[in-house]
Amino acid sequence: MQIAEAPTRQPTPAAMPEAPPNATVVVRNLSKWYGDVVAVSDVSFHVEPGVTALLGPNGAGKSTTLEMLTGLLAPSQGEIRILGRPARGDVELYRHVGMVPEQETLYPFLTGREFVELNAVLQKLDDPAAAAHQALATVELLDDADRPVRGYSKGMRQRTKIAAALVHDPDVLLMDEPLNGTDPLQRARLIDLIRELGRRGKTVIVSSHILYEVERFADRILVINRGKLAAAGDFHAIRDRIDEHARSVRLRCSDPRRLAAALVQTPIVLSVRFEPPAGDLAPGLAVETSDVRSFYRLAPAIAQRQDVHLYEVAALDESLASVFAYVVERG
Amino acid sequence: MAGTTRAARPPLPIATLTLRQFAHGKAVRVVALFAAVPVIFGLIYLIGSETQGRLAFLHDLFRNGIAPTVLPMAILILATNALGNEIEDRTMVYLVLKPQSRLRIVLEKLLAVAAVATLLLWAGTIVAYLIVMRGEAGDALAVLVAMLVAEVFAVLAYGALFLLLSLLISRALLAGILYALLWETTFSRFIPGVRLLSVRHFVESIYVRLADNPVVTMDNPNRLVSAVATLLILAVLATVAAAWRLRTMNLE
Repeated sequence: MQIAEAPTRQPTPAAMPEAPPNATVVVRNLSKWYGDVVAVSDVSFHVEPGVTALLGPNGAGKSTTLEMLTGLLAPSQGEIRILGRPARGDVELYRHVGMVPEQETLYPFLTGREFVELNAVLQKLDDPAAAAHQALATVELLDDADRPVRGYSKGMRQRTKIAAALVHDPDVLLMDEPLNGTDPLQRARLIDLIRELGRRGKTVIVSSHILYEVERFADRILVINRGKLAAAGDFHAIRDRIDEHARSVRLRCSDPRRLAAALVQTPIVLSVRFEPPAGDLAPGLAVETSDVRSFYRLAPAIAQRQDVHLYEVAALDESLASVFAYVVERG
Repeated sequence: MAGTTRAARPPLPIATLTLRQFAHGKAVRVVALFAAVPVIFGLIYLIGSETQGRLAFLHDLFRNGIAPTVLPMAILILATNALGNEIEDRTMVYLVLKPQSRLRIVLEKLLAVAAVATLLLWAGTIVAYLIVMRGEAGDALAVLVAMLVAEVFAVLAYGALFLLLSLLISRALLAGILYALLWETTFSRFIPGVRLLSVRHFVESIYVRLADNPVVTMDNPNRLVSAVATLLILAVLATVAAAWRLRTMNLE
């Protein structure tokens, strides 16, 4: 992927350079609004083969952008071209494009194999059964492929959707939060798969709201915040700027007081706030840290030393939003 | 993963999927209840005093029960279930993000709706007929055939209309019920102008013309050809409009 200016604020339309010849996805002045509410505002970028992350907090406009890229949603304004063709209204384009939607719903009465085969049939493949088998093998779901998807875990549903999107070996793959619900082992394998697809010259655009996850598979990044392209370009350059800003992380654990006492001894922890239990969830800690990447490595080790069970480590979205706002200000 | 070349594939995958959806959902059971309404009335007639002739009873049953209420309600439930639910739960993305024309998607959905609706409605009508005729074919067999043929045209016209409706509004089932109960059942019976704009009128015209029996009458029936043509044109227009709507709508 090559971004207009990397990293920078979103360029003005006049400053938007022509997309290079190998750009597979070209977006120009894309906007989407619903009445007075602007979901995406004048976004321009282009993407080349490789893995690109679409990063932003929940509600930033990532899914809306992806839905417009797939042609599910008509832009209010602007233009999208995928492989040189309009993204909407050309069904033959879907021979070359795969989509992993965010929603979990599948046809509950189908088995995983039947679902992936259905996608292969609808893609008009020569041998749908063989293609489905290979796609299921790619996501390591063969052992459970003949069970109805109604009994699948969230992670298995994600892998089923990914197999369905890969079944026709698309040149462009759009994935909306594909790692949601996967366990750490599945996540690591899916990240390897995404990277492998990028290495094979596929154009993979992956949306995520989790920064530390994105850095494991994406070389390039598009940061979307409040519907605007906040930053775009090389992942590492943008990440370094984001890391300059303190961020908040939520921990849920078996003994928050004990863990908090240990965490405050760590130089990178700036503050710790207790959070009450929420529903069935364990009590939590909201930790503000000056080095979030180091914190993600340190927190499990500290918890283990203190004999505290760690149930959840997650970036606080509002914190991420403030980081993106910070990136824009610093741009 | 495989290359994208063309070869023999299972025919009608979307219709097959829809039939499996029906098999695992509640809609078919509800439609079966509607289709059983003529049977219930037939049983009531059988155990009653039979003050009305058998053929006259069957005629009343079709014109006052099956045509105005059972047909539109049964088809409405299946049609809104076939497309509306997939849009609501977003599984529709797995069909539309494929190199398949929108017309094909709508046609296969219509085919599935028509197959199930025809099967259930025919079963209800045939059983009701046999009950009323006490198991004999009788000399009213032509009336039964006329009912069954009229039901096929009703299934096509209502099916396409209600598929379109489920793509146009999110509360298609409610709107369809109001349409069936107010327009087809009530207004079209009493207001002459409305009658000509109701599917029911043309369905009944086909039935009356095909039955060709002095007991089977209605006011101002259309000629058979014009009634058939009207319903077919309506079905084609609604199908094309549904395909256009599916192509242009936002699937969020």
